[in-house]
Amino acid sequence: MEITLIQGLLLLVVGFICGVDQCWEAFYWFRPMVVSFFAGIVLGDIQLGVACGAVAELSYLGLLTVGGTVPPDPLMAGMMTVVIAYTTGQSPDAAIGLSLPFALLAQWLGIMWNTVFVALAHRGDELAKKADTAGFRATVYFGIFVKAATTGVVVFLCSYALQTPIQMFVNAFPTWLIHGFEVAGGILPAVGLGLLLMVMLKTQNVAYLFLGFVMATFLEMTNVLPIAIVGAALAYINFSHEKKADDVAALMKSGSVAVMGDDDNEL
Amino acid sequence: MSSNEKTALTKTGQPVKKLSKADLDKMSLYSVIEQSAFSFERMQAMGFTESMLPAFKKMYGDSKEDISEFMTYNMEFVNTEPHMATFMMGLILSMEEKGEDRKVIEGIRNGLFGPLAGVGDTIFWFTVLPISAAICCSLAQDGSVLGPILYIAIWFLAAISRILFGRLGYTLGTKLVTSMSEYTKYLTEAAGILGVMVVGGLIPSYVSIAFSEDLAFGMEGTTVQSVFDNVIPNLLPLCAVFLIYWLFKKKANVLAIIIGIIVVSILLSFLGWM
Repeated sequence: MEITLIQGLLLLVVGFICGVDQCWEAFYWFRPMVVSFFAGIVLGDIQLGVACGAVAELSYLGLLTVGGTVPPDPLMAGMMTVVIAYTTGQSPDAAIGLSLPFALLAQWLGIMWNTVFVALAHRGDELAKKADTAGFRATVYFGIFVKAATTGVVVFLCSYALQTPIQMFVNAFPTWLIHGFEVAGGILPAVGLGLLLMVMLKTQNVAYLFLGFVMATFLEMTNVLPIAIVGAALAYINFSHEKKADDVAALMKSGSVAVMGDDDNEL
Repeated sequence: MSSNEKTALTKTGQPVKKLSKADLDKMSLYSVIEQSAFSFERMQAMGFTESMLPAFKKMYGDSKEDISEFMTYNMEFVNTEPHMATFMMGLILSMEEKGEDRKVIEGIRNGLFGPLAGVGDTIFWFTVLPISAAICCSLAQDGSVLGPILYIAIWFLAAISRILFGRLGYTLGTKLVTSMSEYTKYLTEAAGILGVMVVGGLIPSYVSIAFSEDLAFGMEGTTVQSVFDNVIPNLLPLCAVFLIYWLFKKKANVLAIIIGIIVVSILLSFLGWM
């Protein structure tokens, strides 16, 4: 079935609202389960929307945004699964596969904004210097608006205007190009960690970095919590040793005169 | 002062106002925006700062110097699970309320978010999400609207549970802080140890670089990657972090580094090395 202009515009609104939540990851309206449901309501086929949502939600369950990585876009996957199933009459199972190029396209847009928004952070630094809280708030809201508006417009274009051409375009990408972006996605978190070390790393604590690294490499862990606990324990040990050393030093300083005096008397 | 407890002063000499419970809860709810304006350089720093600003201004009035200091240290890199971010905000605000040395707050902030991310991801990404998705999908596959509606309801509750995380951080913070002030020097050091160790632990799981399995190294059956793995697994991610750290030390531009990574990645993919 065909998507009318009004439906296309309503899908734009759904894309925008869910796009706002995608910035926040607060209400999980960016997940396929919810996006597909809303898209189904707009297209007048709620059953189809709910069924597509179930398929897409399960398919994108493992692709998490843990740690600032950007996986193929679940919002766009949920949206385009419904759109493709609705327009082509394919089953939700077939539509989820066809929606992948769009999820990748949205993923790259996400990576682009995460890169471009470095400029917002630098503007934030300047505003922090000036204590300009109103300007700071406007900058943050601007970031939300730009990203969500992009999502809305892309949804509109893919669903109503450019569905066929975009699919052909993305399919024409050579695999090495797509894989190249995947490789980059694996390396990019190193930028964040490198920045963090700029703040924290000192010559006297560099050994702990290797300790944490070796633990995570050789022990099977589902998350970083065990390392944090060991780190806290080591920090405590280090603290009690230093405190003791400082206490003894302080005692020596204040007590040394008296001790010396005693010795003098006995001699 | 009538009480024994000393009241913190702003840089303009005004006493720092206490946060009411309503103010704190309002901050926690507002913190749903915590991931706004996310960037690869600072990650959540902007939304993190903005979430606390209204509450901070309640305490410090219009003391520009305090606001500027507060914004500046909170604009440093931060990336944690959003609910845990609210916990940290409660903690930070309780310390600001007591007039704690900002160097110490900064150290605690930077040392805490990594470990807390692990806790939050375990609760929400790896427990609540799979379970809620499994239940709701089984409902939705039969075409029942109950699936998505239940899903929305579960995550709405999860979103407003930030109120609890904010309160927890705030109350825990006030208890922590009273005994902390004399240990400032040690605490900064301890936070550094904890933080650096966690960063070391994050490298293998956050950064992934490996040569293609088809890329052979001299002899038959030996791949380039296996040579690296025989030295120590995850050697390449570790080197990448240190290389980037070194580039930052040399005052390299973040954007140039990111674009460089993408270009090199595409090149390596084109050559079939990765």
